[in-house]
Parts: sequence; structure tokens; C-alpha cells
Amino acid sequence: MNTLTKRAYVLLGIIAAFLVGLVLLAVSFFLHGGTWATSRANGHLYSGGQITNAGRILDRNGVVLAQSVNGKRKFHSDAEMRKATLHAVGDQYGYIACGAHTVCRDTLIGYNRVEGIFRLVSEGEGNDITLTIDAKLNKLAYQALSGRKGCVGVYNYKTGEILCNVSAPSYDPTNKPADIETNSKYEGVYLNRLLNGLFTPGSTFKLVTSTCAIDNIPDIGSRTFSCSGSFTAPGGGKVICNGRHGTVSFGKALTKSCNSAFSAIGIELGRDKLTKTVNALGLCESYNVSGVRTAKGRFDLSKAAAIDVGWAAIGQYTTLMNPLNMMMLAGAIAGGGATPIPYFVRSTISDTVGSLKTTNRMSAQTAATLRSMMRDNVVNNYGDQKFPGMSFGGKTGTAQMNGEKSHAWFVGASMDANFPYAIVVVVQNGGGGSDVAVPIASKVMKALKG
Amino acid sequence: MSRLANKEEQKTRKKSEPFHWLYMLLLVTAIQIISGGTVLTQIQEAQLEVLAVFGSFLVVEWLYFVLARNLAGQRSTELEIIAFLLSGFGLVTVASVYPNYALKQFIAILIGLGAFVILLALMRNTEVVNALHIPVAVGCVGLLALNLMLAKVHNGALNWINVGGISIQPSEIVKIGFIFVGAATLEKLQSARSLTSYLVFSLGCVGALFLMRDFGTALIFFCTFMVMAFMRSGDIKTIGLIGAGAVLGAGLIVYFKPYVAKRFKAYRHVWEYMNDSGFQQTRVLIYSASGGLFGLGIGNGRLRKVYASTTDLIFGVICEEWGMIVAFCVVLSFAFVAVYALRLARHARSTVYAIAAVASAALLLVQLSLNVFGVTDLLPLTGVTLPFISRGGTSMICSWALFAFIKSADIKTYPKLEIQMEEKS
Repeated sequence: MNTLTKRAYVLLGIIAAFLVGLVLLAVSFFLHGGTWATSRANGHLYSGGQITNAGRILDRNGVVLAQSVNGKRKFHSDAEMRKATLHAVGDQYGYIACGAHTVCRDTLIGYNRVEGIFRLVSEGEGNDITLTIDAKLNKLAYQALSGRKGCVGVYNYKTGEILCNVSAPSYDPTNKPADIETNSKYEGVYLNRLLNGLFTPGSTFKLVTSTCAIDNIPDIGSRTFSCSGSFTAPGGGKVICNGRHGTVSFGKALTKSCNSAFSAIGIELGRDKLTKTVNALGLCESYNVSGVRTAKGRFDLSKAAAIDVGWAAIGQYTTLMNPLNMMMLAGAIAGGGATPIPYFVRSTISDTVGSLKTTNRMSAQTAATLRSMMRDNVVNNYGDQKFPGMSFGGKTGTAQMNGEKSHAWFVGASMDANFPYAIVVVVQNGGGGSDVAVPIASKVMKALKG
Repeated sequence: MSRLANKEEQKTRKKSEPFHWLYMLLLVTAIQIISGGTVLTQIQEAQLEVLAVFGSFLVVEWLYFVLARNLAGQRSTELEIIAFLLSGFGLVTVASVYPNYALKQFIAILIGLGAFVILLALMRNTEVVNALHIPVAVGCVGLLALNLMLAKVHNGALNWINVGGISIQPSEIVKIGFIFVGAATLEKLQSARSLTSYLVFSLGCVGALFLMRDFGTALIFFCTFMVMAFMRSGDIKTIGLIGAGAVLGAGLIVYFKPYVAKRFKAYRHVWEYMNDSGFQQTRVLIYSASGGLFGLGIGNGRLRKVYASTTDLIFGVICEEWGMIVAFCVVLSFAFVAVYALRLARHARSTVYAIAAVASAALLLVQLSLNVFGVTDLLPLTGVTLPFISRGGTSMICSWALFAFIKSADIKTYPKLEIQMEEKS
């Protein structure tokens, strides 16, 4: 009887295992409940793959961009507005992975661990979400792209709020085109080029090379470079310049966007210093922008010959940059060396989304030097009247593509502390930066200035 | 009896039953009236029939306790409280999804209660148990053989037979016999011959379940067998051999039976197979999480529309509609029962009762774990029912019968025997 009594404790082991299982179950509900409840297979929320009931999505001025009416998702009444805000708002099916519909769906449906989705089921309402974007500005930017592929981003470099988050091509979520998967004009339509695109940066990268030069060549300000229309690297190979600039100072080299000068500077700096600067500027990092991981830039000189370093210094070679990250670079320069991480969702529930996380990118002194160089660019090159009353500085890029039309770039920022906005414009295969990207930036910034 | 002795008796009574049965019964009745009433306001059809069923259930419940306490002299009725609480909860949950099924489920509870009472009577004397164990063993094997011959393929498992329009699951009935035979044989396990014949019986049962492709039930039998063997033998070598053999067998089954392999393919990867072999598990997770702690309300769930919602997936239905707190309370009550069984087994009057009580509690917990953790993807999904709660008659009868085994280990169940034993000592 005694041994038997002891052996009965085997039951205790089974009970313990069962209780451990229950604890595991509770923990997994605590950890993953939000993901599970917001699954597209949840019939409370989705019907035929479409989100049915969820909170509204508003822009910074309270314009309703999406809402649920009688179990159907309705978007803004203006088709152009729908297309312009598609990548920020997202679609009802979840094709746009970086849109608020997907990124914030647990908030939109009002899930929490205590109530589950009780409020949505019983009262038919989730939580509203306010975006930081200005829908009107987005529409203007989208129209300025006039059917070309590319993106326009604007953010406040003091607060991190993204006011313009436009990617093209786009489509109307209420009338999704039938040929979207086959027609080449919709190539990469679900991608948000601002957050997840990667493009050869062209001359906008000269800002990076300049940063490196200011930090590493003490007398860079008094140095001169000679340009005869091209630059020959020490190990052979030629970089063609966009002009015949003669003798130029460092500042003028940026204003003229002189490839000869910057290739020479790049080779003098060498691959280690350039790589170090690129990393310090965070250009090869991915940032969490309201829950969307941005694309990491690519800068790899490990197998580069001297001539390749020369090309890399002017934003060619194998280098690829993310537009939002380049916008952050302009913001950091204008903001004195640091920038908050941008965000486009203003949370109604907690401050976790859109909390002000800054990243230090360069010294205040370096930033000041770059500010005056960029400002000089606008005043003496693109024309200050394109950005009236904004103390604007910027840099264009015309990224050469093998056998294709160049990408047109512009990155810039207002140096006025009372108007702390930075912009990036990329027109894919659009042509020259000054001719194509600057007018778009000008239009958008003027509209923002009002 | 002197006044002093009377007081003594009252003291022990207080000690053995920490909560007064009447208060417990009133509490359970209150819970049942509230939950049943809510279900009645929610269902769209057969309200009158369901009302009659709920009412009859309450009458039967009260009748049982009044008779058991006063006529049969039962002094501890905690197990019955839990059995009624759980069956009642199963009844309202099933009725909330299929109002037309309420009557069938109620009849199953009645048969279960009957089985409970009869089994308690049979278990009173070890002589009766010993006399019956060979016929029961033969009956079990016969039933499984009959099942193999007549079975209809159901969900890929051949574990149902149809008798006059009523489908029964013989393996559920065999569970009762398995413990009965096991406890009886193992008590008097002296010769190698009786060990061999018992092993042949057990392997026959598990083997038949493999042939029926009812992997979940086979696993339950196997675990129960291990617990019973451990309770009796104590010889680690024997257990090791048996265990190794069985594990090897199970491994071969997994290897050879594409059906089992396919079922296990989705295990821990249910989201990758969410529209085929992971369908049920992902739906349980989605809708359980939707319910939160307090549920979406009876009738507001969506899991009820998923296949097998009131059988295999009923835990998810409870999570979604009644909330996680209620669902966890339901399953935790089985852990309480197991602790209770352990306590009884330690003071059991003979090995038969200790083995029967521990094996029954183990079987219930293993089956509960396979169900709850199977549908939530913590364990592979094997498609077994949630005892007392799931829709289905044979499962209900088996649950009540297992409770009878636990209760039979309590000497207070047999007041006359208790007095005899006290007199002897």
C-alpha cells in the first residue's frame, strides 16, 4: 500500500505538465493574440479578403481617407486623392504592406488583450487613426509626378512627422485596375518607393562625400580642383563630368556638381573613410517608420578599384540609396546634425508609434558647412525664387542608368527654423534632376508654405 | 450515540467537505440558470424544447443530490458537483450552437449518470470486479473487432458504428472497460501468465485503434496503460521495454501512415497551412484571441460555423463566446478533480481502487490536454473530444463512468462498508 501511495504521485506529474501547458497557452495568447485576432481569416473583420469593420483613417487636418460604412470599406470621394494617399493609407485587401490598414490593423479594429475585439463586434467600431500626412499636399505631389514612377516625401525635421508620403505608380483602391498584374505601367505598384525603394543616388550622394571630406580633410575649404571635362583615376579609367569647370573650390564643386572634383576627393578619401561616413550617416540602416521597416541602402566598396571609388563618390557604381533615408540626411543637415526618425501615423492609443527617436548623424559644425553649401546651390544654381522665403538648400542628382533614362533626384530642406521641412523627390527614369525633380519639389514646397 | 461522539462525527464531516454541499449546489444552479437563461434569449429556434431540457436537467440534478445525500447516505459529493457543472455547461454550449441537439445531449447526460450509479454499485465489492473482468475484457475486444468490421470512415478514422440510426463510438466505451480490466488484473498480478494476457489485451486495444486510424484515442490508451503499469509494476525494466516498444510502434505508424504524417505536418506550422491541414487550429486561435478575457457573447461567435465546432473545437467556441476566463476555469476544474483523485487514491481500501482512480484522472487529463493543446497547436491535432463538454453521447457516458472510478476509491461512497471496516479495526 505504501509504494502504491507513492506511485499515485505520478498523477501530480501529469497535473503539473497540464498546468505548464495552460500557462504556455496563456502566454502565447498574450504575446500573439493581436496577430491572431487580426488575421485575414477572421470573419469578424474580413469578408472575401476585404477588411469590413474598422476605425477611420484621417489625415492631419481631419480629412477622412478611409472608413467603414455598413460593413464596407469606403475611401475618400476623390479618385486622385485615393491614388495619392494609397501607400500611406493602404488598401482593404492588404496588398499595400506598408499602409496604415496593414501596419495599424490591431489599433484599427480596436483589439486589446482584455476585451479582444468585443467593441468592434458589439458596436461595430474600432479605433480611428490619424495620419501625419496632409492629403491635399499628397494629391498635389502625386499630380506633379504626372504619371511617372517615383516618389515624393516631405517631413518635419524637428518633429519627425511625414507630411507627404507619395509613391507612384499608384491605383484607385475602389476600382482596382484589371490589368494591374500584367501592365508594365503598374510595375512595383504595391511598393512604397519612398520607404522601401532603392535607387542609384547620383549626385545627391555628393552630400555624403562632402560630409566625409569636411570631417577628414582639414583644409578642404581652401583646396581647389581642376576639371577638364573628365577625371582620370590613378589606376586608369575615366569619369566624365557634366561640364568643363576649370579650377573650382570645394564649395563651387558642389554647386556645379563637378564629377571630376568629387571623384578626386573620393579617391583621396579612400574606401574606408567613405564607408565609415556612410555608416555614420545611417544610410545603410533600416528604420522603423510607424511600424514599416525601411529599405537599407547599399554601399559596398570592398571590391572597388580606384576608378570605382571615384564613381561611388558621385553616387554611381553599385550604390543604391533609399529616398526616405536621403530625406533624413537633408533633415539632419538642416537640423544641426541630428534628425528624428520620421513617422506617418499619429497614434490615438499610445505614444509608441511616432515617439521622437532621434539619430545623430554628423557634428553640428559639419552640418553648418553643408547647410551653407546647399544653400549656395539653390541661390546660385536652381534659383531661390523656386523656394521663396524658405532659406532653402538642396542638391539634385541625375543618376545614370545603363541604357535607360537617368533617375531624377532632389533632396533639400528649408534652413529656416520656423519652417523646418525637408523634401526628397525621385522620378524613376525621369531625366535630369534640375529639369525634372526641382520643379516638383518647388511646387510641393510652395504649396506647403501656402 | 453519545453527544460527544456526535460532535466528533460532525467535526470529521466538516473536515472532509470544506464547502457545504447545498451552498455548492446552489452556486452551480445559479451559474446554470444564468448561462442557460442567456442561451435561451440568444437561440432562434426550438426555444421551448431547450427550455424544457434545461428545466429537466435542473430537476435531475437536484433529485440526484437529494437522493444521494438522504437515501444513499453520500457524505461527499464534490465530484458530482463538478460533473453536473461541466455537463450542464456542455449542454448550454451545445444548445447555443445546435438548439435541436439539446435533447440528445441531455439524454446522453442521463445515460452517463445511470452509468455512473451502476458502476459505483459494481465497484463496491472487489469480488464482483474480479468476477467481471474477464467478460469485460472479452467484451471490449469484441466491441473493437465489431467496430473494425462495421466502421464507417469518419474524418479518416474508422471509429464510428451506426446502430439503428444512432452512431456510437465503441472506443469511448472501451475506455471504461480498459481501466476496469486493468485495475482488476493488476491487483492480482502474480504470475507471468497474467501479465502476458494483460499485455496482449492492452496491445490488442491499442492495435485496434491504430487499425481504425484513431491515433488520438490510441495515444490516450497508451498513456493510461503506462500510468497503470507504473502504478503496479515498479519494475523499471518492464516499463522501459513496454515504453520503448510502444514508442517504436508509434514512430513506425507516423512513418508509414501518410494520414498521420499529413496531420502532423502542420504541427507548429499551422499558419503556413491555414487553409488546409491547419484550418481548424488557426480558426481556434483567431477566434479565441478575438474573444479576449470576457468573450464576445453567446451567439456572437464565428467559430461555431467551423466544422466540428461543438466537438473537437468546443474549447475555442467557449474562448470566443464566453471568454478565456470561463474557458480556463472549465479546464482547470479537471486539474482539481485529478488532485482530488490523488487524495482518494492514497487512502484507497485496495489497489484496484487506487489504480482505477489514478488511471481515470490521468486519462481525463491526457484527453483534455490532447484536445485543448491540440486545437491551439501546442500539441499535434488528434481530434479527440473535451470530456463532459463536447457534443456526443458515448463521450459523455465515458466521462461520467471515469468519475465513478474516482469516486469508488472513496470509502465514504459505501457507508455500510465503511462501518464494517471501522468495526474490524
